[in-house]
Amino acid sequence: MPLEIQIQKNIVGQGNGAVTIKLTGSLDTATAPELERELVPVLGGPVKDIVFDLASLKFISSAGLRVFSSARKALKERGGQASFVNLQPQIQEVFEIIKSLPGVAVFKDVAELDGYLAARQRSYTENK
Amino acid sequence: MKLELHATPEEVMRAVETLRQFAQEKGVPEKTISGLALALEECGSNIVNHGLRRDARQTFQVIIEITGDSVVIELRDHGPEFDPTVAPGRKPQAEEADLPGGWGIQLVRRCVDEIRYRREAGVNVLRLNKRLVSAAGKR
Repeated sequence: MPLEIQIQKNIVGQGNGAVTIKLTGSLDTATAPELERELVPVLGGPVKDIVFDLASLKFISSAGLRVFSSARKALKERGGQASFVNLQPQIQEVFEIIKSLPGVAVFKDVAELDGYLAARQRSYTENK
Repeated sequence: MKLELHATPEEVMRAVETLRQFAQEKGVPEKTISGLALALEECGSNIVNHGLRRDARQTFQVIIEITGDSVVIELRDHGPEFDPTVAPGRKPQAEEADLPGGWGIQLVRRCVDEIRYRREAGVNVLRLNKRLVSAAGKR
């Protein structure tokens, strides 16, 4: 099962600079390096928040979790975060087994995430 | 069913796809197949990445047996002696980079009922067993 990676900028929230990465297929030992390569230019930019939309992700292994973990670390260093939405049950289960991803936020859908990002944006603005 | 595989990530995934199809044909429940696919991916990629160091000239074997009450997956490789069942698990909340045998073995432990390792004439033999019949007699 291949992995399809779609990167969309600024579609979630209200101009908060989040990048959404939609993954379709299998994030495994063979395909995780593809995501790693695609993330290099994204993380090379000023992005603070990355939202991984996993609605069409069918399979994930520790190889995929490691890519998420290093993205999370890179974003955390610049005060941002990695978020995950629309996890299918088998993906949710893997996330639950590995509770070693501190600082990541999992949301049930884009609406819930949107609300969260908008609230965070307001709090940034108010604190300036 | 016996598969002879080269030490590459793509070959690991070929084994996973073969397992999926074989288990579907045998009527194994989808949730069980997902867990077994994950266990095979983790154990296979561990052999490829650490035991055989991604040397595509090297090969390893995967043997899949599905009986009425269990699925047994056996992985055999000629790499250095390595018992993943005694590898330390990753500490929760760990911040460090990749540790071989960390997250992978945690996932395998959750997906199968029994993991047995033995070293046999210079070969690592890892046997994963998943029972198909619950105490209530249902799959």
